[in-house]
Amino acid sequence: MDSNEKQPLIELRHVSHEYFVSRTENDLVLSDVNLSVSENETVVLLGPSGCGKSTLERIMAGLITPTRGEVYYKGKRLIGVSPGVSMVFQNFALFPWLTVRGNVLLPVGHLPADEQNSRLEKVLQTVGLGAYEYAYPRELSGGMKQRVGIARALVAEPEVLAMDEPFSALDVLTAETLRNEIGRLLADPNHPLRTMVMVTHNIVEAVYFATRIVVMAAGPGRIDVIVPNALPYPRDTDNPEFKKIVEQLHGILTHTSLPDTVPADPHKVVTTKTVDNRRRIAPVSLPYVNPAEVLGLMSLIGDQPEDLFDLAEKFGREFGAVVRIVKAAELLGFVNTPGQDVQITPLGKELAGTSTDGQKRIVREQLLKLKIFELLVRLIRVQEDQCLPSEELLRELQAALPHEKPRPLFRTLLSWGRYAEIISLDQRRHVIRLYEARAGGRGRPPPPPPAVPPAKEPEIPLAVPPVPPAPPTPQEGAKTSPQVIHNGDLPES
Amino acid sequence: MSNLRPTAEVRERPRFWIDVLVLGGFVAIFFSVTQVAAEWRQPLIVQVPIDLALGKLPKYALFSFARGWLAYFVSLLFTLVVASWAYYDTRAHKYILPALDILQSIPVTAFLAPFFLVFMALFPHSNTGLELACILTIFTGQVWNMTFSYYDSLRGIPGDFRMLAKLYNLNWWQRFWRLELPFGAQGLLFNSMVSMAAGWFFLAVCEAPQINGTTQRLPGLGSYIQQATDSNDTRAKIFGMIAMGLIIIVTDRLIWWPLVVWSRKFKLDDFGGSRAPKTTLQLWLSRSAAYSFLCQAGTRARNALLGPAQPWAAETSLLEPGAQPPKRGIAGKLTYTVILGALGALLLWGVWTLIQLLRPVTASDWEEILKDAGFSFLRVIASFLIGTLWTVPVGIWIGLNPKLSSRLQPFIQFAASFPAPLLYPWFVAVIIFLHGTLQTGSVLLILFGTQWYILFNVAGSAAAIPNDIISCSEILHLRGWDRWAKFLIPAILPGLVTGWITAAGGAWNATIVSEIVIIGPKTYSATGLGAYITNASNANDFSKLTAAMIVMAVVVVGVNRLVWKPLQNLANERCRFIT
Repeated sequence: MDSNEKQPLIELRHVSHEYFVSRTENDLVLSDVNLSVSENETVVLLGPSGCGKSTLERIMAGLITPTRGEVYYKGKRLIGVSPGVSMVFQNFALFPWLTVRGNVLLPVGHLPADEQNSRLEKVLQTVGLGAYEYAYPRELSGGMKQRVGIARALVAEPEVLAMDEPFSALDVLTAETLRNEIGRLLADPNHPLRTMVMVTHNIVEAVYFATRIVVMAAGPGRIDVIVPNALPYPRDTDNPEFKKIVEQLHGILTHTSLPDTVPADPHKVVTTKTVDNRRRIAPVSLPYVNPAEVLGLMSLIGDQPEDLFDLAEKFGREFGAVVRIVKAAELLGFVNTPGQDVQITPLGKELAGTSTDGQKRIVREQLLKLKIFELLVRLIRVQEDQCLPSEELLRELQAALPHEKPRPLFRTLLSWGRYAEIISLDQRRHVIRLYEARAGGRGRPPPPPPAVPPAKEPEIPLAVPPVPPAPPTPQEGAKTSPQVIHNGDLPES
Repeated sequence: MSNLRPTAEVRERPRFWIDVLVLGGFVAIFFSVTQVAAEWRQPLIVQVPIDLALGKLPKYALFSFARGWLAYFVSLLFTLVVASWAYYDTRAHKYILPALDILQSIPVTAFLAPFFLVFMALFPHSNTGLELACILTIFTGQVWNMTFSYYDSLRGIPGDFRMLAKLYNLNWWQRFWRLELPFGAQGLLFNSMVSMAAGWFFLAVCEAPQINGTTQRLPGLGSYIQQATDSNDTRAKIFGMIAMGLIIIVTDRLIWWPLVVWSRKFKLDDFGGSRAPKTTLQLWLSRSAAYSFLCQAGTRARNALLGPAQPWAAETSLLEPGAQPPKRGIAGKLTYTVILGALGALLLWGVWTLIQLLRPVTASDWEEILKDAGFSFLRVIASFLIGTLWTVPVGIWIGLNPKLSSRLQPFIQFAASFPAPLLYPWFVAVIIFLHGTLQTGSVLLILFGTQWYILFNVAGSAAAIPNDIISCSEILHLRGWDRWAKFLIPAILPGLVTGWITAAGGAWNATIVSEIVIIGPKTYSATGLGAYITNASNANDFSKLTAAMIVMAVVVVGVNRLVWKPLQNLANERCRFIT
């Protein structure tokens, strides 16, 4: 990376991007990103969901024009689709009505027929699909389909190959095979492919491919740290150096995802730009996980502290997802996270050992200590009929937590609130009520009022004054929300 | 094992007689085109005498066939242009969709008089004006659902495919052929079939309209049957019906069915590709040398027309640092503004004309119109009730029996496509014979225009009930009322509502031809908005006509917004199987 002083292939300067949500509201997915990609580099964009890594990759390819900032290609300002970038999609994006040949030749239709054929042959050999020229995608397995996707990207002989989570839709074994093949391709000095940009949430994958790993943080999406990786190709995942970088990335990702933990073993982490003062003012949002996931974690975790990465391995889940679950458990006081370790608390042990009803009671008590649930309960109480319309809750969440995505947060809140029998949702009228046990049934008293001390009332101002009720605009909301996003880059959830 | 045997296609050698048939077909098409063209260039005769001789029937059938298809091509063109415009122009789409919704609710006959007057003025000396007016009127009965369907499929194209088109710099023409049309093909085709049937529905009205107090006549099957009814020629009537039936069968077997089979390859799932079985017709044709020559020529022409994807799109440019990005398309913007302005002006002019037209309508006229609308409303509701009562059990029965449904499919399709108004005189005769009146009898006539849509959709959604749910209902021993209320009705509700919505527009349209039926010298009529419209139209009273049309459009749009849309949302939210 020291020899990268020459002109970069792609350069982003002060790139920010917003998605239009409604007239009054935009979703900031990228904020002031500066990044360059030079020849012979493999840049991997790594980060949790919703950090805008896919959007960033598409901006590099010129598929999305950023709302602010500039994209340079070989030192010239890029307007429109980049002439030297090809792309591989997570879900393949093959035309089902075209054969492998038709799909692969799509980008090179302007070349003479001989040239097309020789390129086709070469590229099908490269990805090992020589015998499949006239097969339809439906006849191929997922791995084969992605090979076709890669062949289609390579046939144009791009200067930069952009890959958007290319192995995520494949099963573990197939993904491994394909990874190795791409790795070999990068290591092959005879193959023209030199430069790659890849989006992934898999740390090992990132270290396997990257010469530089760009770790991104969410809300709004931005570059957190850039970790260089000078290991020679082909890389061995068992190499101690390799493992060291994986460890280091774990540290960084844990740190960005669980910012209130102090790393016990401070790796030489490049300083981060993360300044998160909001957390102290606004209610902390719940990570988007289900109650069942946290309960599962509590029953599987032992008494001894366990490493986050080991847990991810043990559960067979993606690292980011496990971090979210642990974060939720920590928020509820069931675990502590000293450094990268996860340590069960006495309350957590109690939770793991008790009955279903007991679990609900503990979760309920813990939830009601959270400001976000306090807000929810109060919002219901101020309604004249004690029925909070869903749309109104969405609006309030948006106002209270402007950097969260309201709908996933809404779903998470509802799933927890309903599990813990704090609230109930009437899907027929789309209103939320406080849960009340049926008389005679096996139930419990209504939620304890002390959970909402009156003194705290003015702490979180309501976005919409509750009386008189906000003008009912559910239809408007319903109309604007399912708007099709034309470029198809749906926000991840 | 069976797929190891060579298919019929491979086994059979090219056959000479198939070539002869194919070439004969081309000669026939060529001959038909010249016939139609000659008809168009005839000097204008407002009321062509219709010869009831059987020998003339093929020619009349040909003319009607040509009109139906020309109208369809206009519809297709309109659909592709307007739906794409609505999709790509984010500013205009807010106005285009509601406008289409309103246009959809205006009865076909409303377009009749303006089209005929304008085009006869434009072509005072030849038949062209009459023909164009007739075709455009049929077009207004066909186009709207196609446009909505294509717009929906444009919206449904997955984002990755759009990105792909951008990445490989497909221009709009290539994007249309490679991306948009394949994705829209299935929906468009299904709606084309429905549209074609809707077009035939008003054939008689479009070919024998009453304009300026006189009955115009264009040579065609509709006017032939009308003439036969007027002169009470039973033989001519029967043969006219048979000709109509033949047109429908030929259209279905030779055009729709191969297209349906072909379009299956555009399914965006694992069934995409070549799995689609070939139809008998295709197997036959594949043995014809002439046909394969034409296919090759077609492929070559397509490749030449499509052109290659360009490595550099016009939109891409690389600028020196510091240079200003070019301001794009002042000319384009100007054209856009001009076109939009022209449309706006046209709209204003239309509104102004409407206001002028409405001035002479007195309060008592409005009162009468509203009262008549109430009567028609009751009839429409009654026909919906009857239609629902019989189609729901029958539709479920058909839908749950795949064998039965494939056997009945062609018959139901035929019944749905056959223009019911041609049969009305006979229905009315039966009603009169049974001492009924058209006041209640026209409910039956409306029913025949609408019930098929409900049946189709109910059968379709019954066929789509997942097998697990059916097994579950059996294990739970759901019987009798419970089986209907808890299982079958909710399961088909989304389909039923869709059927109602499709039928709703048609039902109001049908009142116009159902509330007044003329048989020979006698006129049978009922009190209702449809009869009011027909009377106003015959009396050349454009003011009353316009007022009645507006009321009808308002009722249709209003019911759509207040009843059908919420009902559809509810049904889709609660009763859709998640797969």
